Amino acid sequence: MAPASPATFIDMRKHRVMTEVSRRALIKATGAIGAAMLPAGAAVETANAKGRAATTPAATSSFCAAPLPPTTYVFFNSEEAAFIEAAVARLIPADAEWPGALEACAPNYIDKQLAGAWGAGERLYRSGPWQPGAPSQGYQLPFTPAELFRTGLAAINKELARTPFAKMSPADQDGYLKKLEAGGHDLGGVPSDVFFAHLLESTLEGFFSDPVYGGNCGMVSWRMIGFPGAYASYYDLIDKHGIKLDRAPMSLAEDAHGHVHGNPGIPAYSPPNNR
Amino acid sequence: MSFRRLGRRGGFHPPYTRPVGRVERSATRLLASAVAVFSLLGAVTLVQAQSTGREPDAKHGAVIAAQGTPAGAPPCAQCHAFNGVSDASGAFPRLAGQSAYYLADQLQEFAAGERTSAPMTPIAKALSPHDIADVSAYYASINAPFLPLKAPDPALVKRGEELAKIGSAERRIQNCDNCHGPEGAGEPPAIPYLAGQYAHYIAFTLQMWQQGYRKNSLDQMGVMAKKLDDQEIAAVAAYYQQVKATLETAQSHRND
Amino acid sequence: MATRLQPVDAVTIGVGLTGSLAAYEMVQSGLKVVGFERGAARETVPDFQSPTIHDELRYSIRKAFMQDNAKVAVSFRNNSDQTALPIRRWESFLPGQGLGGSFVHWNGQSFRAQVADFVLRSRTIQRYGQKFLDACGPELTIQDWGVTYDELEPYYDRFEYLCGVSGKAGNIKGQIEPGGNPFEAPRSREYPNPPLKEPYFGAIFRKGATSLGYHPYPQPSANLSRPYTNPLGLKLEQCVFCGFCERYACEHYAKASPQTIILPLLLNNPNYELRTSCEVLRINLDSTGKKATGVTYVDGAGREFQQPAEIVFITAFPLNNVRTLLLSGIGKPYDPRTGEGVVGRNYSYQTTGGPTVFMDESININPFMSSGAPGTMIDDFSGDNFDHSNMNPPFIGGQYVGSIMTGGRPIEFHPVPPGTPRWGLEWKRAVARHYNHTILIQQHGTSMSSRLNYLDLDPTYKDAWGQPLLRMTFDFPENDIRMSQHIADKVVEIGRAMGGQTIIRGGTKRPYSVAFYQSTHNAGGAIMGGDPKTSAVNRYLQCWDVPNVFSLGGSAFPQNITYNYSITIGALTLWALDTIKNKYLKSPGPLVHA
Repeated sequence: MAPASPATFIDMRKHRVMTEVSRRALIKATGAIGAAMLPAGAAVETANAKGRAATTPAATSSFCAAPLPPTTYVFFNSEEAAFIEAAVARLIPADAEWPGALEACAPNYIDKQLAGAWGAGERLYRSGPWQPGAPSQGYQLPFTPAELFRTGLAAINKELARTPFAKMSPADQDGYLKKLEAGGHDLGGVPSDVFFAHLLESTLEGFFSDPVYGGNCGMVSWRMIGFPGAYASYYDLIDKHGIKLDRAPMSLAEDAHGHVHGNPGIPAYSPPNNR
Repeated sequence: MSFRRLGRRGGFHPPYTRPVGRVERSATRLLASAVAVFSLLGAVTLVQAQSTGREPDAKHGAVIAAQGTPAGAPPCAQCHAFNGVSDASGAFPRLAGQSAYYLADQLQEFAAGERTSAPMTPIAKALSPHDIADVSAYYASINAPFLPLKAPDPALVKRGEELAKIGSAERRIQNCDNCHGPEGAGEPPAIPYLAGQYAHYIAFTLQMWQQGYRKNSLDQMGVMAKKLDDQEIAAVAAYYQQVKATLETAQSHRND
Repeated sequence: MATRLQPVDAVTIGVGLTGSLAAYEMVQSGLKVVGFERGAARETVPDFQSPTIHDELRYSIRKAFMQDNAKVAVSFRNNSDQTALPIRRWESFLPGQGLGGSFVHWNGQSFRAQVADFVLRSRTIQRYGQKFLDACGPELTIQDWGVTYDELEPYYDRFEYLCGVSGKAGNIKGQIEPGGNPFEAPRSREYPNPPLKEPYFGAIFRKGATSLGYHPYPQPSANLSRPYTNPLGLKLEQCVFCGFCERYACEHYAKASPQTIILPLLLNNPNYELRTSCEVLRINLDSTGKKATGVTYVDGAGREFQQPAEIVFITAFPLNNVRTLLLSGIGKPYDPRTGEGVVGRNYSYQTTGGPTVFMDESININPFMSSGAPGTMIDDFSGDNFDHSNMNPPFIGGQYVGSIMTGGRPIEFHPVPPGTPRWGLEWKRAVARHYNHTILIQQHGTSMSSRLNYLDLDPTYKDAWGQPLLRMTFDFPENDIRMSQHIADKVVEIGRAMGGQTIIRGGTKRPYSVAFYQSTHNAGGAIMGGDPKTSAVNRYLQCWDVPNVFSLGGSAFPQNITYNYSITIGALTLWALDTIKNKYLKSPGPLVHA
């Protein structure tokens, strides 16, 4: 599939990965209430968008994944998105207990970040001359994050034209990612280990950041680890040493009804106080 | 696996059963109704497990609310109504859907003399620790309507909303929602909701902090109450009374 | 062509901690003062309110409160043989920007230095001998400060009471107090507020450290333990342990910052004018080169102005202080080849890095319940608190050790035991398993100055205003590596005594890398001292070469102390300002005749 220019191509795709509500889990929890009250097997739909292998999260996640919001990609074209979705699913995979980065909408997060100010190189010192430098001198490439992903993905997708990443077996996908991670492989000017580091870091952010940024859907990662999120105050609890805090996490952009109002346009700097 | 991993909260909580973004309503509703049918209580277990390891019994709590206890505690329902909505006077706080942990905490502190109120102190003393856990669990589980109340002065509500959501730079008061949650929905277990609480009761309680009579919260409350003048107290009270958080489901659940 | 403005009495370059203190003292003395701040104005309400402020991505990861590298960065190399390259994104240290500076997003860790710190060179030679010091490293250039702890003590007291520091005194006028730090330098009275509640990780550390015979104490904190009215009449409130402290601002007025301890009085004073979004390009000198006439700056709309002033306070954060001196031609720049020159000399940092202790899964640590300066620590290994004579190979200096975790924000904190793959299912499972059952112990210590570590101007890279970036040449002296590795072994034992099942050992390694966070306690480069040949400012932080310029801040430290330096900077600044007020204003000129 010929990659379209990102400026003109918006991939409207209903990307819904629902896992079957684990009836076992609910029955166990509800006891006498019983199966009659349960939703009759919430639909299992695995999105099968063109050119992309169906992602197969673990068949019955006990986490009742809400139907994910459809991802509207504004930065990635469909080929790039296919790689990203498949890659994040390997970096942080789903299992029987917990969803992974794909179900947590990490691709959406990465897409919106790259399309926004960070992707365009905000807060990046962008003057040359450029020299590779020592590892202790940090990132020294001229690429903005958006350029880095574009360039790297173009090289990857070209290299894998015959067997796209998304169509590989999971084991082969892992092998390829490890190869990128190890470095020594040039992706159109982006060293593969630098690309991999950006990909991994973005995936982690997409997994763990506040859902207002379009990732961590349903705050799944926070539920997994027990992080309460943008919670206000532990004054009454901090001296109850060892207490198990069983409450759902909350987002910073949550209204009183628990709805998170996603805003991918939030800039990464505080607006100046107009005084 | 553990049902606790599904979306739920302890105590009064903003009304959703599961994490959703832009949600497919039908699926949510199905699960929501499944979940709403039963009301297990997470947060109060937090407290109970620490002392006795016993799960609170909301059914027994309902009995206490309706009839009182053999030891002589009168029925809560007399003042707070069986559904925890109290009455429109605001003399008795709304309890419906309040955080069980917070309710239990307040009852314990009434009993221990850390918080004093002529009606509540002897009642709390007459309740055993199990009673406290149970009645807190009961009221926490209730999904109750909001009484139709006289519409307050819109200017007053607006001022209250400012204080609640933004704060006051001039008075150096941070906004109430910082701790009490979006639109005063509360942040269980430890932080009670204000949304839908009676204005009269909120104002009274702020005055108690302001005057130094109530001392059983973090000192912040006294500091902030002292910074508010009467008009501002009336404003935040009016605002929160009319913020109705609609509940789709009352409570958190816990798998045992 | 710069527009020349009406003269004022004094200007501050930067309105952070030292800029606020300096301006306040000057307006109190009747001076008209202009404060220049590169960033924007901001205030607790509305800018710091939660839940919006509890945004790890924006503030911790994207660094919203930090200087904008797109406009001005620092270039870096480990040694003079390398070419310095720009730090294109901040990682290792995070200079702040905006009204209040870094004192808005700091943690609130509030220590005094040790008595010996101020006379480090003479004390070390006295205790261990010159040969020992040489053996620690012939390249080390540690110096005495030119001011003693005793002289600073009243200013420490004043600054701690201004901030409302919460702690337990360990030594009041020589009397060791139970519950405090027995190694503490003597203080005249108790802290203004009692210590914060001890979190679980602090309690576990306390038990482990006590069992080994160490002396744990509660970390002194400028996150206040109770509501407090400071001597200026400003009310601070009580920390509620939200777990979003460092890199964030406090929504509750509960963290000492310029906004909470002093700024309202300054901003309301008709003699003070704040100019934000203003980049000061340089200090202008008269034809003698010995008197500053004011500053040249560019405002947010790109217009250039000259602001004449009688006194210039450089209060821009240590790195920017040094850069301002260099760009202005004040003082002789340091030349590492000859060892001559003073501006840029003795740049130091902080030696950090402690172990990760994985506990049993039944132990819920709840790291998200925390504040910026919580927890419990020991001073048994700080500074010169232990006898170094038998250290072989020899080293000087030390680290404090403590369990002082500041939160559990997951993008930054998701520890996994050694051997866990960096990604994949096993990684995810390890994160889920260990997140709430892991304790970090911090090792945080001295950074000795060296003739090899210095600051100067970069020959190649420029900022958005066309001026050379500051160039940093730095690596940890071998002395500091040996020191931290020695202490790392001891800390592993503490981890075991705490019940740790798996421990990732701490300890600092070379080369110093700017690619990951360590500390924002950049120090030195415009150091104080008694001799103009080896210091840029005198003991009142007055430039030897240009007596109407004062360089206030951590740039004055001849080497860095064990501790986080904010309180020492506050005390030192108040000390200097006292003399500036009482002597300099009455009779401008050099305060010290070398």
